[in-house]
Amino acid sequence: MIEIKNLQKNFGQHEILKNISLSIPAHQVVAVIGPSGSGKSTFLRCINGLETITGGTITVDGHVIDANASKKAQQKEIYAIRRKTGMVFQQFNLYPHKTAVQNVMEALLVVKKMPKEKAYSIAANLLEKVGLAAKEDAYPSQLSGGQQQRVAIARALAMEPKLMLFDEPTSALDPELVGEVLKVMKELAEDGMTMIIVTHEMKFARSAADRILFMADGVIVEDAKPAAFFEHPQTARAQKFLQQVTEF
Amino acid sequence: MDLVIENLPFLLKGAYYTLLITVVSMFFGLIIGLIIAIARLKGNRILRGIARAYVSIIRGTPALVQIVIVYYGLVDYGIELGPLTAAYIALSINIGAYVSEAFRGAIQSIPKGQTEAALATGMTERQAMRRIIIPQAIRYAIPPLGNTFVGMLKETSLVSVIAVTELMRSAQLLVAQYYVYMPFYAAIAAMYWIMSTFFTFLLNKIEKRLSVY
Ligand SMILES: Nc1ncnc2c1ncn2[C@@H]1O[C@H](COP(=O)(O)OP(=O)(O)O)[C@@H](O)[C@H]1O
Ligand SMILES: [Mg+2]
Repeated sequence: MIEIKNLQKNFGQHEILKNISLSIPAHQVVAVIGPSGSGKSTFLRCINGLETITGGTITVDGHVIDANASKKAQQKEIYAIRRKTGMVFQQFNLYPHKTAVQNVMEALLVVKKMPKEKAYSIAANLLEKVGLAAKEDAYPSQLSGGQQQRVAIARALAMEPKLMLFDEPTSALDPELVGEVLKVMKELAEDGMTMIIVTHEMKFARSAADRILFMADGVIVEDAKPAAFFEHPQTARAQKFLQQVTEF
Repeated sequence: MDLVIENLPFLLKGAYYTLLITVVSMFFGLIIGLIIAIARLKGNRILRGIARAYVSIIRGTPALVQIVIVYYGLVDYGIELGPLTAAYIALSINIGAYVSEAFRGAIQSIPKGQTEAALATGMTERQAMRRIIIPQAIRYAIPPLGNTFVGMLKETSLVSVIAVTELMRSAQLLVAQYYVYMPFYAAIAAMYWIMSTFFTFLLNKIEKRLSVY
């Protein structure tokens, strides 16, 4: 499903992602963990083309972003990938001038050019799926953080993605609202969605993911099954990180 | 006072032209301003340069000079515009520069995450701009645009120099006819004030209405 070869990403002089190669089969749930500033968000954003890549190739469902291809050719591939990929952001990024259901409908109307009634019925179904059927007409400002993030997930699902990217989806939430978002994500995982989740929720990573990528300084330092990673981290970096996050 | 009342229909006709010029110039100014703002933010180097030069020149020269250039200056090149047309053109171009600054500020104030969220769902840059960014930016731009509009209402008095009989020139003509100043000038001051206040009130209402979310 995803094939990454020698991915390199620089911001100016700084090499943020260093020669990353990996492949992710369909239906796999991958949790990406690691210290802040290690390049997790950048890694995710390269996959759907929110960042241009400096070197290497990224293949998603047959569409290839090649750092050596022309800008135009890359852009074309990026659009193709985005149509198959949903993304959920730490800060939700809901459209504040649109209601919950309008947020979910928007891409269906604009990108898929779907008639309004059809888009509405899809959006309403998705809101129901994330437990927000009653909040269709609420504006984001009228929703709690957990509700906003669930709308954001519904918005991403509306395009029927084959791949979902989550960038710390619960980091901006009050602790008591984290559970409702993780629950929706778990259901998605159980439905067989291919997911890459950057998260600091270790318990969730352990229980919901099939695979852990531990990133530090722009490198994937460990790539293991959750049980193996959490019980026997191989590197000093990972051991130290796990100690820090589980300390208190 | 009697003189003013006697000539009120004439003054009201002037006020009508003042309003007409304001509204027409604002309308075209909004279109010009939006295009210029987008050119400055999203255009290539040439477009950005042109847009920046336009804003700089317009904001750095008096509106009065712009008006006489459009009306008298263009005659040298065989372009003879009617006074009202010249007023529309000069003031639309003038207001466009201020509008573009209001839009540019508003567009820049929309968080980057909004565009990214839209792109991530498969929208093109242009679709994200049109559907997500501009609708939000317009709301942010309404207070500065309101100020621009009310400012324009007063600025229209400048076109009296090219013989457009708006409110200012209506008073000047009456003064020339009756040889008294104060009643007429006081009357138009009051009329300008009433119009400005009315629009300020209206804009506050619109602003409130739009801030539902
Ligand atoms: N747009 C940017 N311009 C310059 N540097 C950036 C940019 N985005 C991220 N970085 C840098 O890249 C590094 C990795 O950032 P990020 O991918 O956000 O890490 P993480 O998500 O793991 O916390 C950081 O050092 C950050 O400062
Ligand atoms: Mg991050």
